[in-house]
Amino acid sequence: MPILEVRSISMQFPAVRALDDVTLRFESGEVHGIIGENGAGKSTLMKILSGLYSPTEGSVVLDGSIVELDGVRAALAKGIAMIHQELNLVDELTVAENVFLGRELRRGIVLDRTTMEAETAAYLAEVHATIKPDAKVGDLSVAGKQLVEIAKALAVNASILIMDEPTAVLSEPEAEGLFELIRKLREKGVTVLYISHRLKEVCDICDRITVLRDGKFVGTIQGSEASPEVIAGMMVGRELSDFYPPKIPQPTGDPILSVDGLQVPGHVQHASFEVRPGEILGLAGLVGSGRTETAEAVVGARPTTGGEIRVAGVPTRIRNPRDAMKHGIAYVSEDRKALGLILDMSVIHNLTLPSLPDFGKFVTDQGKELECTESWKKRLDIRAGDLEASVLYLSGGNQQKVSLAKWLQTGPKVLILDEPTRGVDVGAKREIYDVIHSLAEQGLACVVISSELPEIIGLCHRAVVMREGRTVGEVSGDQLTEQSLMHLAAGVDAA
Amino acid sequence: MIRKGFFQDWGVLIAFIVLFAFNVFRPGSTFLDPENLRNLVSQSAVVGLIAIGMTFVIITGGIDLAVGSLVAMAGAATVLVLNKVGPSGASTAIFVALLAGVGVGALMGLANGLVVAYGRVAPFIVTLAGLAGFRSIAMVLGDGGEIRSTVPSFQNIGFGGIPLPAKTANGEPVMLYWSVVIFIAVALLAGFVLNKTRFGRHVIAVGANEKAAHYSAIDTKKVKVAVYTMLGLLTGLAAFLLSARMNSVGTGSVGLYYELDAIAAVVIGGTSLRGGKGRIWGTVVGMLLLTLISNMMTAYRIDTDWQGLVRGAVILIAVLMQRQKEA
Repeated sequence: MPILEVRSISMQFPAVRALDDVTLRFESGEVHGIIGENGAGKSTLMKILSGLYSPTEGSVVLDGSIVELDGVRAALAKGIAMIHQELNLVDELTVAENVFLGRELRRGIVLDRTTMEAETAAYLAEVHATIKPDAKVGDLSVAGKQLVEIAKALAVNASILIMDEPTAVLSEPEAEGLFELIRKLREKGVTVLYISHRLKEVCDICDRITVLRDGKFVGTIQGSEASPEVIAGMMVGRELSDFYPPKIPQPTGDPILSVDGLQVPGHVQHASFEVRPGEILGLAGLVGSGRTETAEAVVGARPTTGGEIRVAGVPTRIRNPRDAMKHGIAYVSEDRKALGLILDMSVIHNLTLPSLPDFGKFVTDQGKELECTESWKKRLDIRAGDLEASVLYLSGGNQQKVSLAKWLQTGPKVLILDEPTRGVDVGAKREIYDVIHSLAEQGLACVVISSELPEIIGLCHRAVVMREGRTVGEVSGDQLTEQSLMHLAAGVDAA
Repeated sequence: MIRKGFFQDWGVLIAFIVLFAFNVFRPGSTFLDPENLRNLVSQSAVVGLIAIGMTFVIITGGIDLAVGSLVAMAGAATVLVLNKVGPSGASTAIFVALLAGVGVGALMGLANGLVVAYGRVAPFIVTLAGLAGFRSIAMVLGDGGEIRSTVPSFQNIGFGGIPLPAKTANGEPVMLYWSVVIFIAVALLAGFVLNKTRFGRHVIAVGANEKAAHYSAIDTKKVKVAVYTMLGLLTGLAAFLLSARMNSVGTGSVGLYYELDAIAAVVIGGTSLRGGKGRIWGTVVGMLLLTLISNMMTAYRIDTDWQGLVRGAVILIAVLMQRQKEA
């Protein structure tokens, strides 16, 4: 008998049907991968299982009986715990205080610190963490916090762990450690529902893999039969052959944007690069190397203390994003939720926000706004049911497309895209590559910031690499390989 | 079945309609008399003008506690200028006095806005300073007491208006006071500005996510300065109309607690104190609802000592009904 089952579950949001009649079974002690493009419904499914949403139709069956998961606490009480992508720990408290948060042990009216710390130590040992129970959570690495989250789940006897993109924030060795732990948990009979965009690790770690597409169940396959190609094919419903569009010849004209020795206090010491019309320039580097800060400084969102920006050869002062827009420079932020979009506003209102003056000097022509949004919807294949509904209800990939359309509507000459495919699924990724490609063909200068080296190599003519706040080199043509980029990014001399 | 969120959206209107109907169908009711209805709106008009401006400020995520004191200060300026210019002709004097009242209001609003936007001080603190300061200036101007108008025709502004096709008990036409005409016009204009113009969209964007608005090439500081200035201007206008009606300004007492009534009307009307969401019609209905409740309490001879408690309860119930389900 399966330990957990969802039966004909559907979830209807105002703008989209996020889940449509999905039935799944999870066996005790298996690692079950849940895969799908953004918007496929996997996050919604996990939120239902962890008690955050209640489904509009269908039921959740635990150990053979139908259960109502009314809130996270109810789910937890039934042994279902979710390890969130954004970890839910209180940085100011210690590890033990976090593990026992909300169910503190007491002796009389005084907190029983000793017992709590001793028990926490036992749970930490269970997850093979070398963390002290009295350490402050804020001082731990992301990997450490993740282990604390898992220990916390074990502490309440969770038998089903839901992990949402657990490796997204981990380094390679840290991820290996996590896989080791998952295998050990499986031996103990813990069921793990594993969500990830990284197809290879899913194939490696999962016993069974379920693929969702557009809110519908596509299929479940054995981990031993799975390969990234097979899964990717199931996800998009077609074979992925040429993942990146063919490169257009490198343009040779004069640079439209030149950045020379840019300084951003605390983040960037010296950043220089230039980009030509029709060119796709990669800005590579490790997380924290100052790429985002450089881009934000270029569009005036951050103050600079030195350096020069030239637009079409003319030295230009850009003090704020309005100046940048006037000079035809647009920046699509990596942080869609906090900076790129206004989540409470509708698709239409988000899309036209920077270009509002084009819709009327004082009074906004709302018919024209709708028309414009419709045309972007068609052009970028934005999947949104109701354009008047909040962008909050769109999937990551579709939010990214709205974000992109918002800036394309301003008619930029230079487009800076910061991690344009982060949190975006395979299918939408390809679509976004196609869009960037065709924009470059039409003469737009594109700067792509990305942590995914294959993306830089597959998409860009040239790449500038940043390390510790400096641009440290440039590679192009045949030199554009993962190895050369990694060497520059990590500061190892190329052999 | 009633849609989820129905009461959040329409609660204030339903409450108003229910109370309105109650008054209409009460035995022997004279509630629907044109004169009575006119009074209901006219009692709402002065604070209502301020509440409309306050709606914009609150949508940007701000607040203005200084409006009550600013009514006194702008009112003092109005009557002092009126009396000064009075000898050179009544209509000129009234016009210049209007400019003075509105100008002082707008200028102080501008000052609030500049400190909030460029000085980056919390609006609560900035306008708390204004609450103390503006009242003090008003009292200095009025020697701590009342400033009476010396231009007799000033009061015609307060009691003049557009004659309605209805008569009062002593056979005179019911006047739609200028304050009511202006209140209606400003409300319509404000609704238009909030929903149909670029500025309105910017106001909402700043309140919903200031940083994202900044990244979207919006001059968020200018938007903030504009909403406080606009509120100041409307407060000045309200002060002018009020002093015309009273024919004087009691610098120590005029406008007391107006900030609370205005904020209450905005919140009852369904505008979120967290910013990013709001509506003008809600504020107008919220204002009318407050006036209606206060009139009913007077009609039913509820001791004034108790009336504050009832108002407090109304505000609390309204906010509880509209609160969002926690995420």
